[in-house]
Amino acid sequence: MDGTLQQLAVGFGHVFEPVNLMFLVIGIVLGLLVAVLPGLTLVMGVVLALPFTYNMHVIPAIILLTAMYVSGTYAGAWTSILFRVPGEPIDVPLLWDGYPMARKGDAAQALGWTLVSALAGGLVAATVMVLLAKPVAKIALTFSTPEYFAILFFGLASVVSLGGASLANSLISLFAGLLIATVGVDDTYGAHRFTFGVPLLSDGIDYLVVMVGAYGLGEVFLRLEQGFKSAPLEAVKEIKTRLPSLSEIWSRKMTFVRGSLAGIIIGLVPGAGATVASFLSYGIESQYGKRRKEMGTGIAEGIIAPQTAATASVGGAIIPLVTMGIPGSGATAIILGAFLLHGLQPGPQVFATSSNIIYAMFASVFVGIIIMCVIGYFATKYMVKVLEFPEVIVSAYVVMCCILGAFAARNNLTDVWLLVIFGVIGYLFERFRFPVTPLVLGVILGPLAESAFMTTMISFGNDWTIFFSRPISGTLMAVAIFTLIYPVIRHMRHQRKTLKSSK
Amino acid sequence: MAAGTRLARTLPYAIVGAAACYLYYIAMNFEFHRRAGTLGPDFWPKAILALLIATCAYEIGRRVFSRSPHKEVGGVLEELVEASAETHGNMGGTAAAESHPWLLAAGMALTALYVFSIQTLGFTLATATYLALFITLGGYRRWGVIAATSVLGTLLLLFFFMKVVYVSLPIGEAPFSAVTLFLMQVMGIR
Repeated sequence: MDGTLQQLAVGFGHVFEPVNLMFLVIGIVLGLLVAVLPGLTLVMGVVLALPFTYNMHVIPAIILLTAMYVSGTYAGAWTSILFRVPGEPIDVPLLWDGYPMARKGDAAQALGWTLVSALAGGLVAATVMVLLAKPVAKIALTFSTPEYFAILFFGLASVVSLGGASLANSLISLFAGLLIATVGVDDTYGAHRFTFGVPLLSDGIDYLVVMVGAYGLGEVFLRLEQGFKSAPLEAVKEIKTRLPSLSEIWSRKMTFVRGSLAGIIIGLVPGAGATVASFLSYGIESQYGKRRKEMGTGIAEGIIAPQTAATASVGGAIIPLVTMGIPGSGATAIILGAFLLHGLQPGPQVFATSSNIIYAMFASVFVGIIIMCVIGYFATKYMVKVLEFPEVIVSAYVVMCCILGAFAARNNLTDVWLLVIFGVIGYLFERFRFPVTPLVLGVILGPLAESAFMTTMISFGNDWTIFFSRPISGTLMAVAIFTLIYPVIRHMRHQRKTLKSSK
Repeated sequence: MAAGTRLARTLPYAIVGAAACYLYYIAMNFEFHRRAGTLGPDFWPKAILALLIATCAYEIGRRVFSRSPHKEVGGVLEELVEASAETHGNMGGTAAAESHPWLLAAGMALTALYVFSIQTLGFTLATATYLALFITLGGYRRWGVIAATSVLGTLLLLFFFMKVVYVSLPIGEAPFSAVTLFLMQVMGIR
């Protein structure tokens, strides 16, 4: 524990260096703007910022991206509450109580509850992150390849079953991602797999190109098809934030606790990010909260639950990223990309090899949340003005950032062509309701899963039952299989209920 | 549901399934020296392709033969969203989204043309033209703003990527390269 606190103090030292602090503030402001701007999502924002970090030192690069990730879970609440325009799906549950509260003339109070919720959820999760990361890394050090494969299998299973689309479509998207990851020359045999004689494909398809194309360019194409029509904004007389009193906060302490716990746990599960956390936490509050019957009428609990969980999910998601090198969400996948670009491989060894970087990242979450709330308190009025900015101009620059990001990675135009192809694929996926996240996580986790699987097969004489016969991997595999079949069981139960009630 | 609609709904799965079958055939012909007792480099992609083909076949079968093909197993988030929509009805959406397929096709073509022309025209000319055309295509008509954002934006990107991040952007072929080279000289980029 002493060692952890000491290293965290060193991390704070890094964060308070002028250059790093500057990038932290830039990251917070950019994250807030991205969350407010129409047509930009949290993941897209972090994706677009990545090329700007190519030439940066690793610590400011990680601080910038982490700061964007943290603040991206917060500012969308402003537009949900004030204008009934959720910046992205995370913010939808905030509409149900935030907007009615604002309509009752309590917009300042609603914004205040959002700020306090983001602050509480974020800080609680950051503390848990610091306390859990080292023990989890220690446990991960004892893992062998079957356990690693089981973790990855669980991650991929949860991406599919927790997603926002049909199970079959999520599976197809995941398999497509896993397949893209196999393109290139195989490490063990030197065999060319799906290279079709194209030299650049021999090096494989960079997952950043897939990510930038599918998330960034695909989304722009989708919005272009819809004609860049923004909904007219409602006139709001005065925008200010009124913080709740301590007694008001104390009387809702259990809502904060439930929201924070839901956010941390959901964040820990690969594939389930801030959106699931936000919806689930609202659902929990509607079932178990003291004022559950009033949910949806404009009460503070309806704001606290989703916002606390959304921001708390950040701390949870960082744990598997740094301790096992497994990104659980789109945003953490990009942060992993930044680590790899700077020659750092997150995993159980990272606390021995690069603890200064990891603790600087941890410290930046604490400082970032506080700066985010300070900026949120004073600048909401000015930041929501960017909603009036023409979406088509934002989108044109999104395309440029995507293209430059893909080009700058290897200074090669073939990557840009691949980007355009994945942009079209991303659009087609969105259009036909195939989720993009399983595709992207499939591309990222695919090589790790294949390597763990093949090494296990070599080490254990092609005995696939090894995944089920070892205690940790067996448990994880069982949980993963249950995660996969759970939506099917739920669906069958629902159908049976409907049939009974119709009879 | 009409047979035509059912078939149209199976089309994406049929295309993906057919592509997967073709890739499976390719995977069967990977060239490598097989080592006794080990799985080759074709095992993993073939396993994924088999699962992909099975999923597509299941979905096609369900859509063609099921009495209620629209009732599909959803992920947890989808069910949460659906349940919330039933309770609250307010998802922040406005009217159903419009569809402009020609605008989309033009946007995609413009982007492909940009990538195609950047080697010849160079980053500066190609980017300024692309930005102006894309913004116009998107329906924005304040010409002063279009000109300013496309030209100033291009210069900013050129400066940032070449001077700060040291990315060697395409300068184009003569005579177009003269524009980028001149601007690089003005900005002090070597």
